[in-house]
Amino acid sequence: MNAVELNHVCKKYDDFVAVSNLSLAIPAGKVYGLLGPNGAGKTSTLRMMIGIIIPDSGTISVLGEPFRRAHTEQIGYLPEERGLYRRMKVLEHLVFFAQLKGLSAELARQRALRWCERLELTTWTEKKVEELSKGMQQKVQFIAALLHDPALIILDEPFSGLDPSNANVLKDVLLELKKDGKTLLLSTHRMDQAERMCDSICLINHGRALLDGDLRQIKGQFGMRHVQIKYEGDARFLQEKRLVESFNDYGNYVEVRLAPDADPQQLLHLAASGARLGRFELMEPSLEEIFLDAVGKSNA
Amino acid sequence: MRNTWLIVKREYLARVRTRSFVVLTLLLPGIAAAAFIVPLKIATMKSGRRTPHLVVVTSVPQLGELVRSQLLAQDQSNADDDDDTAAETKENAAPKYVIDLDTDSTDAERNSLRRKIASGAIDGYIWLSADGIAQRKAVYSSGNATDFLDKSDLSRALVRAFAEQQLTTRGVSPGQTAELFKPVKLDIVRVQNGLESKSSGGMFLLIFGMVMLLYMAVLFYGISVMRSVLEEKNTRIMEVLLSSTTPTELMTGKLLGVGAVGLTQMAIWMAMAGTLALPSLAAYPSLSDIHLSPLTLGAFVIFFLLGYLLYSTIYAGVGAMSTTEQEGQQLQIVVVLPLVAAVFMLGPIIRAPDSPIAIWTSMFPFFSPLLMYARIAVQPPPLWQIGLSLALLLGTIAILIALCARIYRVGVLMYGKRPNLPEIVKWLKYAKT
Repeated sequence: MNAVELNHVCKKYDDFVAVSNLSLAIPAGKVYGLLGPNGAGKTSTLRMMIGIIIPDSGTISVLGEPFRRAHTEQIGYLPEERGLYRRMKVLEHLVFFAQLKGLSAELARQRALRWCERLELTTWTEKKVEELSKGMQQKVQFIAALLHDPALIILDEPFSGLDPSNANVLKDVLLELKKDGKTLLLSTHRMDQAERMCDSICLINHGRALLDGDLRQIKGQFGMRHVQIKYEGDARFLQEKRLVESFNDYGNYVEVRLAPDADPQQLLHLAASGARLGRFELMEPSLEEIFLDAVGKSNA
Repeated sequence: MRNTWLIVKREYLARVRTRSFVVLTLLLPGIAAAAFIVPLKIATMKSGRRTPHLVVVTSVPQLGELVRSQLLAQDQSNADDDDDTAAETKENAAPKYVIDLDTDSTDAERNSLRRKIASGAIDGYIWLSADGIAQRKAVYSSGNATDFLDKSDLSRALVRAFAEQQLTTRGVSPGQTAELFKPVKLDIVRVQNGLESKSSGGMFLLIFGMVMLLYMAVLFYGISVMRSVLEEKNTRIMEVLLSSTTPTELMTGKLLGVGAVGLTQMAIWMAMAGTLALPSLAAYPSLSDIHLSPLTLGAFVIFFLLGYLLYSTIYAGVGAMSTTEQEGQQLQIVVVLPLVAAVFMLGPIIRAPDSPIAIWTSMFPFFSPLLMYARIAVQPPPLWQIGLSLALLLGTIAILIALCARIYRVGVLMYGKRPNLPEIVKWLKYAKT
């Protein structure tokens, strides 16, 4: 079963096309990444999935049924723009949000306290939101999205603003939720995070899907045509057009896309003849490379 | 329904718990009471200044004596008009002026009096020369322009002194003269519902005060709604809320929640007024005719609620259209205009509550919360007028809520540029949620 299905969905704001004839399917129980550059239409797509805005045309079904308002009680949503009432106390705030999702005050309280313990916010539950650091506020918001135990969790840029250790805690929680059978939809432009966590992805730009499907299959399509090279010394081998179609220098290493029909063995010899190699690894392209390539082509 | 209730509860508690609510609720009646009572206190208090020193210069000593006694008596006769008991306390009060008589009306004496004013030995002199008396002319000279001696008081004292002197020379006895000048006591009576009640203008003040309170409350809570919409927009809470509830529920909840805060505040104020302010006002005889009927109080609550709903609905729409508080403030001036206009019409309408202009302006929904209330407080108009005014008001509120909910729905997710009129018209056409 698919947790969410979009069929030929369009959304226009006046003359600006935010989403154009977008179809995608998010398999239940998986981590799905909605990827795309800024302004690609990600947030509009997410907002339509939870009924904040209505598509101009096309259909959306959630958990196997056409979208109804009642579905919002089974969806948890962490918007990209975080928002909390600054003067409210943390626990009070969480209970309010959970009640809006249909929980009783008592159940909301219990769950909120449990989550606060899990995310190390216990000492802050009676503090006002404005006294919290940005990262802590983000955790509060994250808890608010999960309190009603939703089957579908939509997270817009969940890791932005978190330090590495908090990001790691969040990642563990997300993977645990996946193990419990929840469907997770991550919208992000952090390709490294998406690559590590997502089972499937959809890459959109200008409101259209560029790539869609199982992440391993997508990467497989590109084959073992990429090489990561760590080297010191002469870099002239990168200019060899017969072997190198393009490359991307990340500073610590360089990722090379092989020219069609090029033999990686030849590149190894050429590189080793001028430079001192630390690493030479033949691999599938990273998601980042795929992203840059696809977006570059669609903008061209 | 459940969501609306949750939002009402949150809005209510979030406001009532703030320190500013407590301070305002307690402070405002204090300020109002001070504004009412302090002038009364000051008026009944003796001024702490030293007694002014005057010289009456005239070659006719008898006239000089009369001018002096008139000036000294003036204070007392003023008090007589207001209150009969004041005369008794007057007996042991200090005289208002020190007045010397001077029969030397030469130019040399006049120069020396001028020097005395300059040196501060006296405060002023009244010059009555022989020629002057024949032509009924007098000169009053004093050191400063803003004077302690009221021009009309002085002129009245002179007229009476001249008259008494004339009467005496024609053989009228002082007792008869006093009888002739005895003041006439004037009572002002207001007719309401066929019943007479004494009025000294206190009722006018009270009604005016109540309508101003209504005006301020409608404005204050309306702006409060606008600011809270802006806050939710700017802190982006809106998006989280909208993932759980609809814009219409959100707007309704906010309007009702803030309205409930307003009612709470009014209830506290009325309780305070009933237990503290009214009994202490009763101590002032000139305000003893002030009273509030249950009808006036009931109408106050109803017209506050309706006026608040009308204006705060528009304010919610204004908040949704704006991005920053400054933008909201600019837009809201347009909203305030009808309210301000109603306040300007208040005076004439309280004075003539049955005039055609009063009847029709109190039907207009943007005026009626203030003006119909004022009419009810002055003299209840026919029931059909109250009914029509309420029906028009309720109908307008219903239409506005429907329109503003649409603006709200689109506006709350719009950031950045403020929409122009054609864009807002387009928002109104987005029918579905």
